[in-house]
Amino acid sequence: MRFPDLMKLGISFKLGILLATFGILATSLSGYYFYTSSRDMLTSAAERDLLTATQVVGRNMKIIIDVIAEDAQLLAAIPLASNVFSSADELTAERDKKLLADTFTAMLSAHPEYFQIRLISTSQHGLELVRVDRNGKRMTRVLAGNLQEKAHYPYVFDTFRLARGDIYLSDISINHEKGAHSGLNKPTVTVSTPVIARNGKRLGLIVINIDLNGLSKILKGNLPSSYQLYLSNQWGDFLIHPDDTQTFGFDQGKRILIQDSFEPVSALVQGKGMNVVMNIDEGPQKQAGHVAAFVRLPFGDTIEKRFVILGLAQPLENITRETSRLSFDTIKIILAFSGLALILSALVSRIVTGPLNAMVRAINRFSKERVISTLPLNRNDEFGLLSRSFHDMQTEIMAHLSELNESRKALDHLARHDTLTGLPNRRMFFDRLEHAIATSRRSGKKLAVLFVDMDSFKEINDTFGHAVGDRVLINVAILLKSAMREADTVARLGGDEFVILLDTIDDPRHVKTIVLKLHDLFQNTMQIDGRDLQVHASIGVAIFPRDGKDADELMQYSDQAMYNSKKVGGNTSSFKAFVPEE
Amino acid sequence: MLSFVCRLFAALSVSLALSLPAYALETLRVLAWPGYADSDLVKVFEKRFDVHVEVSFINSDDVLREKISTNHGGDFDVFAANTAEMRHYISRNLIVPLQLSNIPNTAHQLPRFRDLQAIPGITRKGQVFAIPYTFSEMGLIYDRKQFRKAPTSMAAMWDSRYKGRVLAFDDSSHNFSIASMLLGGSPFQIEDGQFNRVAEHLVELRRNVLTFYTLPEESVRLFRKHSAALLFANYGSQQLKLLRDAGADVGYVIPREGALAWLDCWAITRGVKNQRLAESWINYTLEASVSGELTRRQGLANTIEASPLAGNSDKIIWLKPVENAQRRKVLWSHIISGDLPEKFLAP
Repeated sequence: MRFPDLMKLGISFKLGILLATFGILATSLSGYYFYTSSRDMLTSAAERDLLTATQVVGRNMKIIIDVIAEDAQLLAAIPLASNVFSSADELTAERDKKLLADTFTAMLSAHPEYFQIRLISTSQHGLELVRVDRNGKRMTRVLAGNLQEKAHYPYVFDTFRLARGDIYLSDISINHEKGAHSGLNKPTVTVSTPVIARNGKRLGLIVINIDLNGLSKILKGNLPSSYQLYLSNQWGDFLIHPDDTQTFGFDQGKRILIQDSFEPVSALVQGKGMNVVMNIDEGPQKQAGHVAAFVRLPFGDTIEKRFVILGLAQPLENITRETSRLSFDTIKIILAFSGLALILSALVSRIVTGPLNAMVRAINRFSKERVISTLPLNRNDEFGLLSRSFHDMQTEIMAHLSELNESRKALDHLARHDTLTGLPNRRMFFDRLEHAIATSRRSGKKLAVLFVDMDSFKEINDTFGHAVGDRVLINVAILLKSAMREADTVARLGGDEFVILLDTIDDPRHVKTIVLKLHDLFQNTMQIDGRDLQVHASIGVAIFPRDGKDADELMQYSDQAMYNSKKVGGNTSSFKAFVPEE
Repeated sequence: MLSFVCRLFAALSVSLALSLPAYALETLRVLAWPGYADSDLVKVFEKRFDVHVEVSFINSDDVLREKISTNHGGDFDVFAANTAEMRHYISRNLIVPLQLSNIPNTAHQLPRFRDLQAIPGITRKGQVFAIPYTFSEMGLIYDRKQFRKAPTSMAAMWDSRYKGRVLAFDDSSHNFSIASMLLGGSPFQIEDGQFNRVAEHLVELRRNVLTFYTLPEESVRLFRKHSAALLFANYGSQQLKLLRDAGADVGYVIPREGALAWLDCWAITRGVKNQRLAESWINYTLEASVSGELTRRQGLANTIEASPLAGNSDKIIWLKPVENAQRRKVLWSHIISGDLPEKFLAP
């Protein structure tokens, strides 16, 4: 039983392992492919999102500046602004200025990101006429004497040249203008628009100073706190940076440039392209481990093609968190599918090896018991074919075996019988005799051996030929058999010698009867080939246990007794020692 | 496995030992501004003197002062600084007098740089503490279309004919020096009684200029956009090149009052290890080929070849420490902010 067990384990185990390995490998490979492509997709999606976010922030900045521009335009358009230049007397002028200052104050209060609102004259070297500054929590109106001449500032001389309603946007810089209260030494951008009289005369301009920090606070307001906001001017000088010390380097005589921190941005600085997205994987700089997107935004005068560069950076972690979740999911999927592959491969190997095992059992049964087991003969697959072939082989083997058995039986018969007469031969006779002697010894009953020899058989042979002789022998055999009981054995020892075993004799006289009966039968002529032949026989009898104690002695003595019959002229019978009474 | 690692280690050690020179090379420690000691030029020096040169760069006078002060000059052998800074190093005893015989190339310098006593701040008590290497003067750039004849004086910046078309530089020190010179005073030593006058003069400049620029690129932009006529060239030849590259038809002139100029000189620290070697370095940089490369690569004038911009006869005023930088600064902030003179000038 050990061998089939091992084989069963072997095939199903190997097949299972093969299938499972294949399944797990396929799952893992496709899982890995799925993971990498999804991670790339996630990363590029994150980069795209960041770029979109940057563009939205850029748009927000434009909207905020547009709203400020509208405020400036509104202030430039109200009659009060023009009235200041055409007041009839000092008193009215002062009243108009005060009213305008009150308007400025109201607007400053409404817009915490405004530092300062001014009305500046075109004459008197750009003297400020009305000016309200944010001064901590208060608004301070700067009075005559402290008002300053501003004509040498670009926001003044550039705005003077503009048409009604046009807007000038200054470069973003640190405001070093003395006496600017809250705005002093703070990053500032100014929005200005000319004040033009009905007759087209340029009177002055309205300037609103914006707090860049306030602006950046508004821009950052809608962004997740992990986002970093960057802004640079068109040369790349940082204006907004998570680290304040990195901004306005040019104001301290050094240049801290965006293209030094974010190399790809140099393309934007050179005016190539509108945006860049980069993945700062490593490096000693603070920006390492971030994804950053930068867009070039037109800023101010379109003719001069001024622009600023706005950027957002997001820690890579935010994205890698997604991808690590993805990798976890992928591993889970791989594990689940690998488990499935294991179960499936076990199942499949069982399905495949099941019929094999059945066949192995059938072969075993056949080889042991010569029984043809039922096999799945009707299957249409390879197993069906194998079963059918096996069944054919079994049937053929069975046919061969029975044929072999027949010839063995025939051989056996041949070995124990005389071919001419079909009587048992000497060997078989001795077997039976010894068997009978053994039985007699146990039962205490007697048995007799009759030795029968043809008289003058030689003459018959010589006179009529061997064919007739053989016919005679056959007839003698028939004769002897007909005279005996079923249980007795008639055998031919060879030539014209026959021997008869009378088994289990209850009455010794019965032997004499049989012998006499035989004698009588031999007195009849035999009809052979139309000839009447007289065939006589001499008979010798030996009885067990009286005449001999074993088969050899019985044979010997019956033979002697037969010779005794011959001596007295044949055609008679003799007993070894005892002649039973008549 | 272990034996293999051991053998590998041994082989590495041997090859390392072989690759090292038999003795440690002498090292010269140079502290300079970017462009003053390019690596290819340094290599030639190393080879010639069989030494190792270690170059560190600075980008501001403040950092330079800090580095030289540390260890009392013991961290470096030779460095470059401008003339206005040299007084600081001499008075703090951070630099040593030079052996001019060890720097024979000084003989090939332009006459202006050979007269070391005439250059302020680099000599004391007859001893020479620094050797000029490179300079940049601040002349006037003018639009050839608007000036039939080149301006000859800084006073052109005050000329009302060019009102709104003058570009001046936003710097307290230089502007006070120029204004003082024009009023007949000393550029670097304004007397107390003169300050109000000089400041008032600068208010007049403010009322005449278009604006005060800060960066060279900015000046080019303003010059082009506003068709400026006159520009105070704080960045000298560098600015002239920028304007010409931008297509402006401009000329350059050293005014008769003279042009302010910074002049960077080599000096040797008190902590020098081998003064002879440090002097050889100075001598090497004054070779025509090395100084020529400085001009070719950095656009800075050298002391060997005559500058195409500033002629030998032109008056160059080397920068010197001013009488009171802080006072100039405070006043300038009032002026640039647009304050009326009566507000900030004490009567």
